[in-house]
Parts: sequence; structure tokens; C-alpha cells
Amino acid sequence: MIAITNLEKYKNCFIEAFALSEADVESLKYQGIQEWDSVGHMALMALLEDNFEIMLDTDDIIDFASFEKGVEILLKYEVVIR
Amino acid sequence: MPLQGKTAIITGTNRGIGLAALEVFAANGASVYAHARKETPEFLSLADGLSGRHGTDILPLCFDLTDYEAMKLKMKEIVSSKRPIDILVNNAGAVAESASFLMTPTGKMKSVFEVNFFAQMALTQYVARMMTRRRSGSIINVSSTAALDGDPAQLEYIASKAAVIGATKKLAIELGDYNIRVNAIAPGLVDTDMASAMKEGLKSRTIEGVIMRRMARPEEIAGAMLFLASDMSSYVTGQTIRVDGGMR
Repeated sequence: MIAITNLEKYKNCFIEAFALSEADVESLKYQGIQEWDSVGHMALMALLEDNFEIMLDTDDIIDFASFEKGVEILLKYEVVIR
Repeated sequence: MPLQGKTAIITGTNRGIGLAALEVFAANGASVYAHARKETPEFLSLADGLSGRHGTDILPLCFDLTDYEAMKLKMKEIVSSKRPIDILVNNAGAVAESASFLMTPTGKMKSVFEVNFFAQMALTQYVARMMTRRRSGSIINVSSTAALDGDPAQLEYIASKAAVIGATKKLAIELGDYNIRVNAIAPGLVDTDMASAMKEGLKSRTIEGVIMRRMARPEEIAGAMLFLASDMSSYVTGQTIRVDGGMR
């Protein structure tokens, strides 16, 4: 069995939350696409919490404004995206 | 049974309306995270007894609602348990000391709001996030007829319970997208410690203004909570229901 990396898991959360192809995800920003609205945002947060077994603080949910910013935020929860 | 297979969180279950709700929910098939501020042997024994009597899980959930770090840890434990939450009853509340508005420091007003509003909203935020995953849930807030009528109670109690009504309406709109219903109950005078602390004259005058000429029993408030928690109220959201014996 091939182990999936945190980066792949992280990308998959975006792909599943917004029904996208992998090529799209790294440049994503909150409200940059129709699917990443407030409802989509909470779906993404739920997927991240489930996949990385964390509970995000409300402030971090608010600050989670892009794919890139999310990498920084997850580091606070000892989740290294690479 | 209307709550068979469902799991609820009820705050303030060690006495009064919360205890009655715990008993009614357990008797109707729900597993319950029973919140109390302190974990005492009496409370653990109560939970154990109810669990045995009704064949459901009664799980003590002990923390101070105003301790947000403790709240977060407890919520994290619930998420890790993978047991989905179907119902939240925001019952725990604080009363204000008897004083006129002109004699009430703002610090005291804030402390009542902290328990009756802010802590409940913080808990609701955690639980609503769990409910959005399954696109299902029922949240029941406890307000008061005093919030609707402006009496009898102190300003900060009335105002904090009125804030709960506003939040109920807004939450119903926002969480409706996730099929989560949010309602409030406004009890009148209920035979609890809170009523025992009322001045006798005020209590008797209040009862005189009630069509049924008596206080509510806690289980009569719990009955309305059961209705709002179950699918019997599947088309009810954003409402504040008076359970007051006909207050005039």
C-alpha cells in the first residue's frame, strides 16, 4: 500500500470540497471561485478536520483565506504540508 | 421512541429544567452528553442511574461554560469519539442578583451575559460545525417569557435572554442551509431553585397572572424541548415558543 502524503491529503480536501481537478487547487483563494463561498468554506474546514484529526479554532477558520495560507495555519496544529 | 438513536448535548443537567430534560430525553431513547459545571459523585451516580434505567448512554460532560479552553477540549473529545450530535439544548443559565438597573454595575451585567449568551454561542458554534457535516440537527435555546414581556427579572437577565431570541432567529436562517433547525423556548415561572429564590410577594403576583394559576413543573418545559428535538417538529424553525401556562 502506498502512503499518501499530507500534501496529497490537503489537495484532496480542496478537490472534494469544491469538485475541482488537481491542477486548479494551489492558486485558490476564498471567494476566488464560485464554489469557495461561506458554505463551501465550512465543507472544506470539515474535511480538513476529519482528514488531519484536528479541531480548528474559529480565528483560524476566519483567517483561512487561501490554499497557501492554509498551509501556514495547519502548521500550528503540527500538520506539515509537504 | 421519538429520540431513539439520537445523541443530544444538554447543558446544566444537574438540576431544574436541565435535569428534567435529561430524564425526558433518556426516557425517549436519546443518548445524552449531560453537562454540569462540576463533576461530583452525586452527578456521576445520577448519570449512571439514568443510563441503567433507560438503557441509553448518559455521558457526563463536566466543565465551566465560561472556560473556553475547557469547552474546546471537551468538544474535541466528542469529535474524536465519532459520535454524531443530533441535538443541542442550551439550557444552563445564570440569574442576576436582585437590584434595580440604576444600582447594577456593568461588570455584573457582563457576567450574566457571559453565561446566558456568549458561552452558549461559543458552544453552539462548535456543535453547529459538527451538525453541518451531516446536514442535520436541532438546536434548542432556553430564553424566558421575561425577555418577551420585560418582567419579572433583572435587566441583565432579561436582556441576555432577549439576545438568545435574536440569535435563535439569525441562527435558524444561517443554519437552515444545512438543514439544522434552531428554536427557543420561553418558559414562564417554573418550580425550580430560581423560583424559590424569588421574593414571595412577586412570586404570588406572577402566579395570579397565569391562567393555569400555578408554576410549571420542570418536566412540562422538557416536554416542549422533546417536541423541538424530535422529528415531530421537522417544519419548525426560528421560533420562540412560550411555555407559560397562559401568562397575562
